[in-house]
Amino acid sequence: MNQQKKLLIIDDDPDFVEGIKSILDAANYSVDVAYNPKDGLNALQTMNYDMLLLDIMMGRGAEGIMIARKMRKDAKLRELPVLIITGIREQMAFLFPGEPVHPRFVEVDELVEKPVEPQFLLDKVSALLQAAEARKGKAG
Amino acid sequence: MKKFAYFPGCSLEKMALSYHKSTIESARKLGVEFEELDDWNCCGATAYFHVDELLAYTLCARNLALAEKTNLDMVAPCAACYKNSYFTNDALKKDPDLAEHINFALEEDNLHFTGKVTVKHLLEVFAQDVGVDEIKAKTTRPLEGLRVAAYYGCQVLRPRKDHEDVEQPHFFEDIMSAAGAEPIDFPEKLLCCSGSLIITNRHAALSMVRNLLQSAAQRGAAVIATACPMCQVNLECYQKQVNQEFGTDFNMPVLYFTQLLGLALGITPKRLRIGSELVLPTPAFSRVRRTPATP
Amino acid sequence: MASKPTFSDEIANLLHASHGNPIKICMQCGTCAGTCPSAPFMDHTPRRLIAMINANMKEEVLASNTYWYCASCYHCTVRCPCEIDIAGLMYALKRYSMWKGQFKEGLIGPVFSETFVKTIFRSGRSYEPILATTYLFTFGLQDFITEAQTATTMMLKGRLPLLPPRIKRLKNFRRMIGRVIPVGGLE
Repeated sequence: MNQQKKLLIIDDDPDFVEGIKSILDAANYSVDVAYNPKDGLNALQTMNYDMLLLDIMMGRGAEGIMIARKMRKDAKLRELPVLIITGIREQMAFLFPGEPVHPRFVEVDELVEKPVEPQFLLDKVSALLQAAEARKGKAG
Repeated sequence: MKKFAYFPGCSLEKMALSYHKSTIESARKLGVEFEELDDWNCCGATAYFHVDELLAYTLCARNLALAEKTNLDMVAPCAACYKNSYFTNDALKKDPDLAEHINFALEEDNLHFTGKVTVKHLLEVFAQDVGVDEIKAKTTRPLEGLRVAAYYGCQVLRPRKDHEDVEQPHFFEDIMSAAGAEPIDFPEKLLCCSGSLIITNRHAALSMVRNLLQSAAQRGAAVIATACPMCQVNLECYQKQVNQEFGTDFNMPVLYFTQLLGLALGITPKRLRIGSELVLPTPAFSRVRRTPATP
Repeated sequence: MASKPTFSDEIANLLHASHGNPIKICMQCGTCAGTCPSAPFMDHTPRRLIAMINANMKEEVLASNTYWYCASCYHCTVRCPCEIDIAGLMYALKRYSMWKGQFKEGLIGPVFSETFVKTIFRSGRSYEPILATTYLFTFGLQDFITEAQTATTMMLKGRLPLLPPRIKRLKNFRRMIGRVIPVGGLE
């Protein structure tokens, strides 16, 4: 149980990534980063992770959703916990001022909005990892 | 009879209604039938297309999926609608992951994209599917002596690279010649009309329009023929503003090529909606040796 | 994994699915600058802007009017000997600056893009009279009068719609968009 957990961040914003990566590093997680959806998907398919932290607006548009949808159809990736961290309300505020993020656009474990408080982030990550462990335990 | 799925686009509903009417009329004379797509939507034009590429692909894929339901190839008279539809078709065919995602969105309207239609611009349909020989054969009132600047603009040709010739095309001139007109040498034929800069950067836009009008006028064109509603509106409706800004006195008629073609095919000016221009083309027709009936 | 991306890497990441070559291979030949019909009105030519991106001059690039003055004529894209999709790059910069809400003040381009796409969301079609609201306020009196005269003449000639058009299956259409841009308020 004390084995170090491996996390992947897919996010195109270098400053934001730098911030959350340092928080997660300090909490003794092993953190990989992909800065575009293509590299991100490639990492998911070639490496083994315990959890994914995923941005939405990247590359050509809302490519984070493409990744989340693809994972749900992939036997290997289906069970991987996904935490979406997005600034979409800010990014698309010109289109939908004051509107909430669409609640049911894709089946993911959790969605939080940027900016994220460090402790809140750590609590979410640890809760999702524990829930995934519990699911695995039940299945096994 | 040749038949195509027809995507008119937003401009042709009103601002470029004359393009729509003259397209349908000329096509019918040449034995081509256009079936309008049921419930088509905006192509995204240039203002937003690619700012969010996934959205842009979705908008265009809906029209392509509507065309697929007709089992016909698709034709668009508007250069922007054509360019956006053509490249969406191309991108989705090359990238199955992208197509899968866009199809997930299309499910909401019970549609599905497979990539089975070919997308053509109206000029291509007249130049290739109909052909200049056929146009020549059906021309009953040749536009003899009418000096035309055949103006391609941008998006009929670009950014496609597999086109006949991206730098020196002549199929537009060929169509005008087949209609009996005299296409002039117009080196600016591929330059931009300024597109949506007419709204977002008026000064730059008017300067670009002036450049085109000046060349056409100096080279003795009686009329500029266009194949795009944006080009037509920028060159024609903003002539007054150009004259105001630069102290010029342009009075250059700008017609859709289908209006000129229609006249040559013997269609009445009224059916081609000649007369809805801000710069009336009547004086230009006085130079035609066999004058078509004036509006 | 990767080290912290530079600004030029960020732009490359935005263009990861583009059809052209990476802008890092630009050899600064200036064909784009010589071809661009809008270049005389830009604060930096496309060639210069690419050099600035490759030099990671982020603030200067974002503050530039260059990408908002691109008319999407694609002449640079088809002529670039390095086969860089320069027009695609201009769109990517628009996207980047809009997502960050960071662009030069006083430009009509961003407002126009927003109004345009909002109009499509509302109705599935574009509608010229609404688009006019994005620029009329920037005009002086004389220009405003000329513009109003042009609009009136076009209206009289039956070339301007009085009512916004609307597609039939608008509900489906909006739900469709909700699947590619997951923000509420579309249904």
